[in-house]
Amino acid sequence: MKKAVLLVLLMALVVSSFAFKVIMVSDVGGLGDKSFNDGTWAGILKAKDKYGIDVQVIQSKEQSDYVDNLSNAAKEADVVVAVGFMMSNALFDVAPQYPATKFIGIDIAPPEGGKVPKNVQLYLFKEQESAFFVGYLAAAMTKTGKVGFIGGIAIPPVERFRYGYMAGVKAYNDIYGDNVEVVVGYTESFTDAAKGKSMALAQYAEGADIIFAAAGACGNGVIDAAKEKSLKLYGIDANADLATVIDKYFEKGEGYFAIGVDSDQDYMAPGYVLASALKRVDNASYYGVRDAYRNRFKGGLQVLGALEDGVSLSQMKYTKGLVPARILAEIEYLNYAIKSGLLVVPDNENDLNNFSADIEFPF
Amino acid sequence: MKNKLSKNAMNILVPVTSVIIALFIAGIVILLIGKNPLSAYWVMLKGAFGNKAALAANISKMMSLVLTGLAVGFGFRAGIFNIGAEGQLMMGAIFSTIVGLNLGGVSPVFAIPITMLAGILGGAFWASIAGYLKATTGAHEVITTIMLNWIAVYLTNYFVAGPLAVGQGVPKSPEIAQSAQLPPLMTVQATTLPSGIIVSIIAAILVYILLEKTTTGYELKAVGFNPYAAEAGAISLSKNIVLTMAISGALAGLAGSMEVMAIHHRIFGDFSGGKGFDGISIALIGQNNPIGIIFAAFLISSLRTGSNAMQFAKVPDDIVTIIQGIIIFLVAADRIVRTFILKFSSPKGGESK
Repeated sequence: MKKAVLLVLLMALVVSSFAFKVIMVSDVGGLGDKSFNDGTWAGILKAKDKYGIDVQVIQSKEQSDYVDNLSNAAKEADVVVAVGFMMSNALFDVAPQYPATKFIGIDIAPPEGGKVPKNVQLYLFKEQESAFFVGYLAAAMTKTGKVGFIGGIAIPPVERFRYGYMAGVKAYNDIYGDNVEVVVGYTESFTDAAKGKSMALAQYAEGADIIFAAAGACGNGVIDAAKEKSLKLYGIDANADLATVIDKYFEKGEGYFAIGVDSDQDYMAPGYVLASALKRVDNASYYGVRDAYRNRFKGGLQVLGALEDGVSLSQMKYTKGLVPARILAEIEYLNYAIKSGLLVVPDNENDLNNFSADIEFPF
Repeated sequence: MKNKLSKNAMNILVPVTSVIIALFIAGIVILLIGKNPLSAYWVMLKGAFGNKAALAANISKMMSLVLTGLAVGFGFRAGIFNIGAEGQLMMGAIFSTIVGLNLGGVSPVFAIPITMLAGILGGAFWASIAGYLKATTGAHEVITTIMLNWIAVYLTNYFVAGPLAVGQGVPKSPEIAQSAQLPPLMTVQATTLPSGIIVSIIAAILVYILLEKTTTGYELKAVGFNPYAAEAGAISLSKNIVLTMAISGALAGLAGSMEVMAIHHRIFGDFSGGKGFDGISIALIGQNNPIGIIFAAFLISSLRTGSNAMQFAKVPDDIVTIIQGIIIFLVAADRIVRTFILKFSSPKGGESK
């Protein structure tokens, strides 16, 4: 028995040493989080389908598992993918110890004042660009002249979402000579949905009718709040189908909306989530694994924007019919303007204050 | 004689048998998902003890678990259900960090004990609130400590995002002064073996002495055993409730202090990973005995470290949650295991009669 077991283990070892192996180490959110971990894994699976590589996921249960899991993964894999900014410290501790292994860090910023180790490729995102689209959309769609922003904790990616969102609103105001206002709040949490909901209800009470939440799972509460307020306004029950919701919106001429973040959250409450500002972590992990597989791994930092398909506006599968065709066309043009460098979306307070949209639509 | 095993022997036999039964049942589960349980356990064993790095990772998990286990176990012995070790751990960590940040240039000989003491006081202070409320108003400690846990969570988040915030990325505090950090006993690549484990073991021995060899310990146990009888025996209930909570909280606070001084060197949101709550299971498995708790903590840390390695053999790490659940169930419902042990040991005993 023991010999058989040993043989199997040995075989597994021999087989695995031939295949190109990618191991993803999840953060404590784990697979099934409908966000970063699932997104990254989707990108790795895409690479697997394309190149026939060997892939595996290791889940971390607590912060102190990161070093352990990354080290063990480094011993077994050609490429180790670390997910989420919580793993930064562990990644920069472990990577230099295993120079032969390549590391990919998704949404991980370079160490403070330090250099990125040679065997580490980091991916960050231009959150401001996807937030710009939803900001423009919100400003165009609001009936009250007021839109909301709810952030989790004011960490850099959340702030980049806010700058982009406010720039989008400002661009709309500049182009249309309008005066849409933005109400801003922070939940000081990324997990407490109840807090997101109560803050959203407060912003709706202040007169906002569309709220963009860049606050992790707090956003679920914001979506809840949008649905609850709309149901009351429309006078329908929670099970009403999408067609009824859309009819009621046009009948009343107004409604309450949430805007999702990171992954496509439109499906979470069809008809009540206007759109989502996507962060394509799946593309990042796919690019990383692809480059490593093709021996084009460089190491360093890469910031993915709209041009690299790193961020985008969601498909708006359920709500596209609510948006005037002209606005959709304008957003499409803005997307082109950003990709071609005609328009630079601010990613800090200073640039935001000096930002003005010099855009003339060609139609 | 044989079917009346001594109480001490039973206290060891029950958890050990529970572990064996749990491994057996989980083995069936592994078999059902089409993997070989023996090879899975072999990988787990190697992952927990197989090399220096594994052992170091294992012990760095064990360090705080011993302390939170002691915190809860000590409370149980004195009749208090301290479910707030999590919050007390965080308060200990916050206090240690704030003090440790300001000790640059102070010799480690002073900096280390002062930082440690800050953590102990932080935890003791936090737990005493619940103790005081119980002693004066009768507010049940389970409710108050749960509420205090949440306050501690939000305080931690406030500190790392507000007054102590530093740098980019995860909201976190700066590193505490070098002189306030506990040096590692050994470093294997990126994994370190924290010297805090020594502190944990010493704490367990001190708690043992306190409970078994001192008058205070006797009084505390008397209150836990039968509060009315203790009160009739002129033992002050309210004094003992506050004291129990304070000591229990001090131990949990020390756990937080160790996390900061020996592992992370700073605080950040959600750094504890539920170690305070794990203390409850560890106290149960260790039968509330300080020495038993050392072994129980080592068992849980080994299972957890091993489970990380088991994932590489494509066995889901949830198996370990199953094992842990069964162990706790069996230890809590110890009658089942006791009967089981007696049945197995009685045939011989029966024949000799």
